[in-house]
Amino acid sequence: MKPAVILVGADKGGVGKTTVSRALLDYLAANDIPARAFDTESPRGTLQRFHPAVTKIVDVTQTTDQMRIFDTLSDTKASVTVIDVRAGQLSNTLKALKDVGFLDAVNEGDFTFVLFHVLGPSVSSLGEIAEIAPFVTDAHYFLVKNFINDTTFFEWDPKTYSSYFGKVKSSGDVTVPKLDALACEKVEVAGVPFASFVAGKTGRGDEAQNSFVLRGYVRTWLRNVSAEFDRVGLRALLLPKPRRR
Amino acid sequence: MGCVRMMRRQPVYLVCSPHPRVGTSTTARLLADYHVVEKRPFATFDTDPHERVLATFFPAETTVADLSVTRGQIALFDRLLVPSPEVRIVDIWTRSYRQFFAQASDIGFFEEAERLDLQPIVLFMTNGSFDAVDAADEIARTWPELPMIVVSNEGAAPLGEAVHDHLASFPTDRNFQIPELDPIMRRHIENPNFSLSRFLLYPPSDMSLVVRADLRTWLRSVFAQFHSYHLRNALEGTRYLLK
Repeated sequence: MKPAVILVGADKGGVGKTTVSRALLDYLAANDIPARAFDTESPRGTLQRFHPAVTKIVDVTQTTDQMRIFDTLSDTKASVTVIDVRAGQLSNTLKALKDVGFLDAVNEGDFTFVLFHVLGPSVSSLGEIAEIAPFVTDAHYFLVKNFINDTTFFEWDPKTYSSYFGKVKSSGDVTVPKLDALACEKVEVAGVPFASFVAGKTGRGDEAQNSFVLRGYVRTWLRNVSAEFDRVGLRALLLPKPRRR
Repeated sequence: MGCVRMMRRQPVYLVCSPHPRVGTSTTARLLADYHVVEKRPFATFDTDPHERVLATFFPAETTVADLSVTRGQIALFDRLLVPSPEVRIVDIWTRSYRQFFAQASDIGFFEEAERLDLQPIVLFMTNGSFDAVDAADEIARTWPELPMIVVSNEGAAPLGEAVHDHLASFPTDRNFQIPELDPIMRRHIENPNFSLSRFLLYPPSDMSLVVRADLRTWLRSVFAQFHSYHLRNALEGTRYLLK
């Protein structure tokens, strides 16, 4: 299987990028795709709080941490590396990826590169697309509309939208639906992967006393998010194609 | 083995209708009073936060759950699934009807109930309209394993001649009929201090003999149907003995 890097980022904070990373790690686990993650919210990482076993905190602008990530892509047991990019650092991180030669290696077919660009509700969010466009010519670039926090994309008028989207080669849109507020809060407090919350487990694997209703809400939400990842063909991108006989 | 399991499964009665004024709360109340008379423990759930009929008559046993808010949904569904020897009776408010079944589907309530050895049973209140047939049919199509009893409350929604043909098209072989009650007696039973089970167990001496006799006949006819359903289920559960 060709190693893959999935970058999850946004140039604005509070758009739910770590939620998307968490859902991605659950999706990969559910599909038996071994994954590891890097949380760039150094020194403290939100992603690491939910997925401590597979997540390391790094500063992606530091050379030593860049080596920890990119020099190990082919050696690690994890076939997919998820990088949760700190808010406001997406453009800089992409530039760093270019500088270390990762984007060239993607161009040569050594790695699969997927970018989930989590958009905010304002038009300025669309402006980020133009900044990112030069770095994603060989990436599978997905725009993510995250409704988990009840976001309404009210500022986007269709003309503006299409004028920005014409500038970038996008592989598709992913819509993350809204999750019930109380369910969202309880998972936050529990500090476990969504899948563990659904299964009624604590971070240590013990039985948790989670509400059945809230587990149901999270289960349905996670199923819908996974269906979105399936719809845009994420699994097919990451899994090796079966050999023809 | 399936029969033995069915016998042991604790009933969760879901009294519901997509239409108002068909006697949903009255039926839920009658079912609760039947359990009082039979001395079987029960818990009731009222999903109408505005007009709390069950909470009025069974304040100690009733949980009021407003399904329009998450905490209300937790108060209902989570409590329904708690292991307990109590029979559960849910009065599903007309305005919560769609939400109840949509949510039950979303959170996998019926599957979880089966896993926990609970037996949800729908008591579908009909007004004999095609809409009611369609609504009952939709439940039967979505959850084919879910037992359904069609209840017609003749006092709340009088059925015309032609309606019996419609009733025959319901996806069930089980029907309960709640006979019409004289307006004088209806006034009696609507009094918040009037308990149907207490009346049956300890008939008040100061009540008119005529009212007493009519009310007793009415209650006995309803309770006899509940009892026959209960016995039929118990019999189903012992069928393995005949093999």
